[in-house]
Amino acid sequence: MVDILRLENISNSFDGLKVIDNLNMNVKAGKISAIIGPNGAGKTTLFNLICGYLYPDNGSIIYKDKDISMLPPWERASIGIGRLFQDIRVFKKLTLLENLLVTFNDSSDSPLKAMFGRRDKKEKEKIESSLKWLDFVGLIDIKENLAENLSWGQQKLLSLARLLCGNFDLLLIDEPVSGVSPSMADSILGKIKELRSLNKTIIIVEHDMDAVKEISDYVYFMDSGKFAASGSPQEIFGNQKVIGSYLGV
Amino acid sequence: MNYLIHILIMISIYTILSISLNLPVGYTGLLSLAQAAFYGIGAYAVTLLMMQAGINFFLAIVMAIIISAALSLLVSYPSIRLKGDYFILASLAFQIIIFTILYNWMGMTNGPYGIPGIPRPEIFGIVFDSLPKFLALSGVIAIAVIIIAKRLYSSSFGLVLKAIREDELSAISIGKDVRKFKIMAFAISSGLAAIAGALYAVYVTYIDPTSFTLDESIFILSIVLIGGSGNLKGPIIGVLFMILLPEGLRFLGMPDSIAANARQIIYALILILLMRFRPQGLAGEYKLG
Repeated sequence: MVDILRLENISNSFDGLKVIDNLNMNVKAGKISAIIGPNGAGKTTLFNLICGYLYPDNGSIIYKDKDISMLPPWERASIGIGRLFQDIRVFKKLTLLENLLVTFNDSSDSPLKAMFGRRDKKEKEKIESSLKWLDFVGLIDIKENLAENLSWGQQKLLSLARLLCGNFDLLLIDEPVSGVSPSMADSILGKIKELRSLNKTIIIVEHDMDAVKEISDYVYFMDSGKFAASGSPQEIFGNQKVIGSYLGV
Repeated sequence: MNYLIHILIMISIYTILSISLNLPVGYTGLLSLAQAAFYGIGAYAVTLLMMQAGINFFLAIVMAIIISAALSLLVSYPSIRLKGDYFILASLAFQIIIFTILYNWMGMTNGPYGIPGIPRPEIFGIVFDSLPKFLALSGVIAIAVIIIAKRLYSSSFGLVLKAIREDELSAISIGKDVRKFKIMAFAISSGLAAIAGALYAVYVTYIDPTSFTLDESIFILSIVLIGGSGNLKGPIIGVLFMILLPEGLRFLGMPDSIAANARQIIYALILILLMRFRPQGLAGEYKLG
């Protein structure tokens, strides 16, 4: 199985404090990897480095065999790296359908075409694709509602649909089940598991260990900007170092 | 009757201006204080192209749009990656610079004396030299701008601008080059403002820098804020309100000197009341702030 993403000796510091410390990571295509660790371990910083909101001080980020270390974030997104933020960030004044339609990146974004050109023939395909993903997350019946009227859990589902509609290959999902009801958490985790069959590669950051056990193929335990341990969920949750320093058992 | 036609012509011109400003303000979240500068660039560009190069108005207007859009890059390119307040300052600086150039470049603009005797537009032997003919011209152009704006707002491009306005970081995360979209929106806005300037110049047949001051930029922004931004009807309602209000005051029998001051007080009161009770304006969609 090929590595879709490789992090090679990356480091990042804030005001002299090393937040990511010479870190290496190989992410297999089509698998779900989870990053766990205490607050301040560097998990969200790592996501920001992969997405391009931060640039590494050293090392390389290789995506599909291309060095993307210095690419701006929008360009990384346009080549297939999608992000679901911890604080969600849906477009609140857009309808659910519009939240998905806006993810398409093609020539229809051109203002000249918008002002003087013919309507895009692909418009129908885009709507159909958007509706498919809204259906996938169970929000199709309220597709014309504004996103601001959704519950927190529904906004997470909408964000997930937006990631899928955007046709990203690598999905970075930050705390998908935090702050949602148990039934909504089950629904979100179920959808994430289904993505495996769509050959999506997923990295999640999550504090809910039951969720991590349930969905991940591989787990990284992060502490002080490094991976202190990594392996299958069984290996990690049986690792005395992880149990002692993080799981607190 | 002529008075009514004059009001309708001014409504056409200000409709174009308010729609032009609605794009950066209501659709992209960029507050600009330079709209009168682009209005002036359009007016002077068309005037000089017609009078000094002998170019027909309809070709000159296209060239003025391009010039204005190109000059907008001077504001947008260096400042658009900065946070909102800095963009406002950059647009303010541009407004002041353009006014200063118009006021002092005697060889080109004739400075404070302005340029009189601007020829009327002409096409296929039709000269738009009477008020009804000019109303037809300005009305058709304003409607064309409304149609273009409607297409723009309902397009994928418009949707991306709305997304940027709602959450810039999130728009970046789905692969949108936010800086490019903002620069394009501002350039289109500047080009549309130039159309209004061109119409104004050939309507009044005399231009001088005092028509394109910071006060005028604030007036255009007030139209958009009072009418509302983020959709098409807000700026149009704003124009009707702001153009017809002072005309209505005339009928109250106030002397001109008092009416002018009363108008400013009423504008200020309305703005304060709207900020408190209806931040999206009379018919807008986007709440500033």
